[in-house]
Amino acid sequence: MKKKKWTVGKILEHVFLILWLLLCLFPLYWMFTMSLKDTNEIFGGNVVGLPTQWLWENYANAWGSGGRVSSYLLNSIIDTFATLILTSFFGFMASYGLLRMRWKGQKAVFTYLLMGMMIPMHAALYPLTETLLSLTKTNWALIIPYTAFNIPITVLILSGFITNIPYEMEEAACIDGSGIYRTAFTIILPMMVPALITAAIFVFLQVWNELLLATLFTTDKVRTLTVGIQQMSGQYQTDYGSMGAGLVIATLPTLILYMCMSGQVQKSLIAGAVKG
Amino acid sequence: MAMMGGLLLKRVLSSKWSIAVFVLPTVLFFTYIVVIPIFKTLVYSLLNEIPAKVGSESHFAGLEHYIAMLTPARRNSFPGAVGNSLLYAAVSVFLQLPFSLFIALLLANGIRGESAYRNIYFVPVVISSVVVSLLWQRIYKGLLPQVFEQFGWAMPQNGFLGNKTTKIWFSFLPSLWQYVGYHMLLMYGALKSISPDVLEAATVDGASGARLAFHIQIPMIKPMLKVCLSFSLIGSFKLFDTPWILLERSNKDLPALSMYVEMFSNHKYSYASAQAIFIVLECLVFTVLLNILFREQKDRAQGKELNEP
Repeated sequence: MKKKKWTVGKILEHVFLILWLLLCLFPLYWMFTMSLKDTNEIFGGNVVGLPTQWLWENYANAWGSGGRVSSYLLNSIIDTFATLILTSFFGFMASYGLLRMRWKGQKAVFTYLLMGMMIPMHAALYPLTETLLSLTKTNWALIIPYTAFNIPITVLILSGFITNIPYEMEEAACIDGSGIYRTAFTIILPMMVPALITAAIFVFLQVWNELLLATLFTTDKVRTLTVGIQQMSGQYQTDYGSMGAGLVIATLPTLILYMCMSGQVQKSLIAGAVKG
Repeated sequence: MAMMGGLLLKRVLSSKWSIAVFVLPTVLFFTYIVVIPIFKTLVYSLLNEIPAKVGSESHFAGLEHYIAMLTPARRNSFPGAVGNSLLYAAVSVFLQLPFSLFIALLLANGIRGESAYRNIYFVPVVISSVVVSLLWQRIYKGLLPQVFEQFGWAMPQNGFLGNKTTKIWFSFLPSLWQYVGYHMLLMYGALKSISPDVLEAATVDGASGARLAFHIQIPMIKPMLKVCLSFSLIGSFKLFDTPWILLERSNKDLPALSMYVEMFSNHKYSYASAQAIFIVLECLVFTVLLNILFREQKDRAQGKELNEP
């Protein structure tokens, strides 16, 4: 490829792109600096500058004494990972049965699952509160609906992959006398790992950032980060530094995931959108 | 040997019992948690009030709630809420998507730092919309007032989120900002997958810049544009997190907010169920409309090809 020359047009393009880049990053910069300032500074003359004193105690505050971010974080981690394990398991089982095995009506059942994806969660809210009422003191109140609502997208992402695996794999295992469950879990499942990761990242971001169900189905002890920090912002109206620290703690896991594997995250979200 | 294996495999793969083990748990679970509640909501929306709350007073009310919620009246905020969601959809379709497309074109046509720009533009997408909303809340209440004061500009009356006419616009801004990166990435990916031969041929024919974009690149990524359109339309009708955090709690300015408030604050369960069903129908109708729109264009394009000598 030939090197492009710097023309006025190219420079203008870069100016525009850099302006939008700053707009994308500014709220993050602001969040990090806010988390290290005291309220006076946030409201005083130093709104956008770096903190004059780096107040790490804001984090201690949010983590334990003032806020309860440690507990919110733990609940978010439990709910998210339990959901990921369950969607991967159910998703794999269903896509194997629906797309590898041969039976009448498999297409109809596949379509039935996928229809669920077109319907927003809003439509199930009230009946779900009835179903899950007795569980709201436990993490299951969120894990169960999160799993159910994310099964269709998982099956869909897996479906594109599982149909491309040649049948010779199973044939060989079959001749060796391996049963279907062993074949599915020891031969096909390992080959599905990339697709399972793609689906898992998509589901992770959905679940980690979910608010609507989390506001309804969590009581004090099992609050997740999204509801927790949103309530913090009301309760500790005067302590914006700690609120900033809470926001940073809530954001770091997704941010770290993105920084470590930005390509994979982008791929997952493309797969989820294009198929969804 | 291979044939025997094939036959054996065929038998194994169509064993009814194994199929049930693989598929049934998921299907039953999904039905119980997703499908049945949706049908329950539909039934509730057709009753005067749900049985669990009023006992034997519960009776079939037909479309009463639907008529009530769609009849324009001074105290009925739902038509206004639907209007606002359409407004958001319009802003998203006519400003956010073209803006994302413009960035995607700049990046896809090759520019220094292409992937760095792309990776950073995508950062807001992975952040929780709750965090984004709370940050923008601080921007509206803490940062912008100071900036406006510094420059001596007039603030909107009662602040950015207190002013009756403008607050809805300011509550839209954070999620519009957040998802530019998503649309940009989808379009960028599609643009990148156009065969270089096509672009080269067009360039040889003298097309460049805007002409190349409008005559070659944009028509070629139509399927992806459809994905973006349906994503942004359905997102508009479901919009909840950002306005819920930015506006005051009893706010009913968008369909999802209205449903939530009627259901969990005002305890009008059946009425709120009708609103929930309305949101679902709104999403379905627009999905079907998009499909028709894009199918017609496809047919026309194919027809044109056929008619050409």
